[in-house]
Amino acid sequence: MPDAPLRIAVIGCGAVARRYYAPALRALECEGVLHVRALCDPDVRGTAELCAIFPAATVAQDAAAIAAPAIDLAIVASPPRCHAEQTIAALRAGVAVLCEKPMATTVADGEAMVSAARDTGRVLAVGFYRRFLPAAQAIGELLRSGRLGALRRFHCAEGGDFRWPARSPDFFRRGAGGGVLADVGVHTLDLLGWWLGEPEHVDYEDDAMGGVEANCRIHLTYPDGVIGEVRLSRDTVQPNRYVFECADGWLRWHVHDADRVELGLGDVDAGFRAQIHRVARDGSHPALGAPRGGFEESFVAQIRNVVDAAGGRAPLVVSAADGLASLRAIDACRSRRALMSMPWLGGTELARARQLGGVA
Amino acid sequence: MIRVAVIGANGFIGSRAVEMLHLEGLADVRPVVRSVSRLARAARFDLDWRVADARDRAALAAALTGCDVVVHAVAGDRDTILGTLSPLYEAAQAAGVRRLVYLSSAAVHGQDPDPGTDERSALSARQPLPYNALKVRAERALLDLRERGDVEVVIVRPGVVYGPRSRWTAAFADDLLAGVAYLVDGGAGICNGVYVDNLVRAIHLAFAPPAADKEAFLVGDAEQYTWADLYRPIAAALGVDLDAVASVAYEEQRVDWWDHFQAARQTSAARSVLSLFPMRLRAAAYAAVDAWRANGRAAPDRWGAPAARAPRATREMALLQRCRYKLPSAKAARVLGYRPSVAFDEACRRSVGWLEFVGYPIRTSSGDDRRRDCAPAGAALREAAGERS
Repeated sequence: MPDAPLRIAVIGCGAVARRYYAPALRALECEGVLHVRALCDPDVRGTAELCAIFPAATVAQDAAAIAAPAIDLAIVASPPRCHAEQTIAALRAGVAVLCEKPMATTVADGEAMVSAARDTGRVLAVGFYRRFLPAAQAIGELLRSGRLGALRRFHCAEGGDFRWPARSPDFFRRGAGGGVLADVGVHTLDLLGWWLGEPEHVDYEDDAMGGVEANCRIHLTYPDGVIGEVRLSRDTVQPNRYVFECADGWLRWHVHDADRVELGLGDVDAGFRAQIHRVARDGSHPALGAPRGGFEESFVAQIRNVVDAAGGRAPLVVSAADGLASLRAIDACRSRRALMSMPWLGGTELARARQLGGVA
Repeated sequence: MIRVAVIGANGFIGSRAVEMLHLEGLADVRPVVRSVSRLARAARFDLDWRVADARDRAALAAALTGCDVVVHAVAGDRDTILGTLSPLYEAAQAAGVRRLVYLSSAAVHGQDPDPGTDERSALSARQPLPYNALKVRAERALLDLRERGDVEVVIVRPGVVYGPRSRWTAAFADDLLAGVAYLVDGGAGICNGVYVDNLVRAIHLAFAPPAADKEAFLVGDAEQYTWADLYRPIAAALGVDLDAVASVAYEEQRVDWWDHFQAARQTSAARSVLSLFPMRLRAAAYAAVDAWRANGRAAPDRWGAPAARAPRATREMALLQRCRYKLPSAKAARVLGYRPSVAFDEACRRSVGWLEFVGYPIRTSSGDDRRRDCAPAGAALREAAGERS
C-alpha cells in the first residue's frame, strides 16, 4: 500500500516560496507525494498567490499553529532571523522541517536547531537546492574522483545588480542574515565544502561600512596546496561562473546552467560544452539517456528527498549538520574580515570607511 | 548637519552621492530607493534609508520629512524623466524641504553644442535625440513648479559623467574586450566629461547659496580633453592599443527609422518587453536590425562569406565625439564656488581602479594580468557583458 501524502505547511510565503517552492510542491502534489495543508505568513496578503495554487490550504498568521498530527513537514521559507525559532518550534511540535538557507543568522542558533532535531528525532534538512543540480553533482564527482588530475586552483565569481523581488528589508540588515555573503555566499561555501572539504586557511574582505556588504572576496587555501578565490557581488556584474583548474584538465560551470558544464582535457586544444544526461545502453554500447533535469527538477528532487527521509525511506542529502557547517564557514570569513580595496575613495573617505567598517 | 535625501540612491550618480556625502561627513544622508531590492549599495552604510517610488507623492513626503534638501538623481525612460517631477516637488513642498537639486544634463544643449554655448543659451525642445528634449522639458516643468511653490530649485547640467559604475567607463571596457569598440574620427573630439566625484562636489555646493535658486549650472572637469584621452587609460589597462581601435568617420545622417527605433527602446513599454530577453539575445536582435539597415536587406546567410562592415557609431556617440567646444563651468564656479576636486589623470586612475575592483582583467605595466588566479579573465568578462540584464 503506498504511503499517504505527506501533509505540508509552508511558513513564510515570500518570493522564494512563490517562485521556487510552490511549483515544486504543486508538481509533487500532482504525483500524490504530498499535500499542502497550511500556509503561514504574518502578512496574510502575501499568501494570496500561494492560496490560488493551493486552495485547500488553511492560512495562519502564527507559525505556532503548525503542529503534528495535522502537519508532517514544514518548509521554513521566512526571513533568516525567524528560521531558528520557527524551526525549533515545529520540531518540538513533532513536525519535520526543510529550512531555507541560510539555516540561521548565527552559529549558536544553528547549533540549537541541530540539538532540537536530535532531541525530537525529527528530520531537519537545509535548503541547499544546488546540491541537487546535475551540474553540481557532476562537478563534485569529477573533482573528488581525481579524473581530471589534482585540483590546483579555482575561481568562483557570482552576482550582479540585485534584482531579487525582496519584500523584506532583512536582506540589507546587519544581524538579520543580510549581505551578499550570507545570502549568496552561503551557497558557494556549501558547495565548496561539499566538493573539496574544509579549507586550511581563509582570508576575507568586504565593503560593508557600517551596514551590510554588497561585495566580498574570499581567498581559500587547502592542505594540499589548492588555492581558490570567491568573488561575490550585489552591485556589479560578475561572470557568474566557477572555474576549476586541475593537473589534467579544467572545468567551468555557469551557475545558471543547471545541467551543463564545460570541460577541457590536458593540453588538448578542444573544449567541450556538455549537457548532462543519464547513461543508457544502446545494445552493447553506452549511450545518452534522458537529460538529468534543470532547476525546477532540482527543487522537486530536494523536497522529494526530504519527504523520503521523513518517511524513513532515504537518507537526507543535505542535513542540518551541513547547514551548520555553512554557518561556521561564514563565521570563519567574518572573523578574518578586512575592508575591500575601493580605489575610487578619497583619503578622507577611506579613513572614515575604515572607521565605519570596524577595521584597522 | 544638513539632512539630504537622495532620490535614486541605487543609481550610478545617486549611489556615489550617498557614499561621498556620508563618508566625507558633508551631510546627514537619507538614501531613497524605489523598492527594497534597490537597497544593496545604500545598505553598505548604517543610514536611515527609505523605500518610496518617485511617482508616489505620499510615500515620498514621508521619506522626505525632516530633510533640508532633496537631490533628484533618478534616471530612466521618458515616463520616469517626466513623471517623477511633480510628485517629488509636491512631496518636498509637503515635507517642508527647502531646496531640490535636479540632475539634468548638458545634453539640453545638444551633444555637439555650438561654440560660445553656456547657461544663457536658448534651449530648444527640437533636438537631435529624444533624451535631450526630455531633459529640456523636465527643466521647464520644474521651473514652472518652482514659480507656484516654495521649494527652491537648482538645476545641475553635467556632461558625460564617468567613473565607477558609469556606463561610459564600463561599456567602453566591455566593447574593448568584445572587440567591438570604436572611436569617431579617432576620438579627436572634445569630451565634455565630468568625473562623478566632481559632479557630487557640485551637487553639494548647490545645497546652500541663495543665488542658485531657479538657476542652471553646467558642470565639467577642469581640463579640456578628447574622447581618445578619456578612453586611452581604459584601453591601456586592458592591454589594448587604442590606436588599433576602429575609427569611424562621422557622416551626417538624417533622423531615420533607426533613430526612432533607438528612441522607442527608451519607452517603458519597450524596455519592459526587451527586458524579458537575455542581453545576448537583445544584442543579437539589435545587431540583426543594424545589419539589415546597413545592407538594405536581410543579414547574409551564415554559410555565405561574411561581408566586411565597419562598426557603425550610434547617433549619440557620433554627435558627442565630433564636439569641438568645451562647455564652461564658469557660472558654477562663480555662484556655487565650484572647483573640480579630482584632476583628470587621477579620475582616470580611479576609474581603472574600479574596473579592477569589479574584476576586469587589468594588466600591470609588465603586461601581466594583475589578478592572482583568474585564468578565464577576458572571456569571463565578455560573458559578463553579454549577460548584463
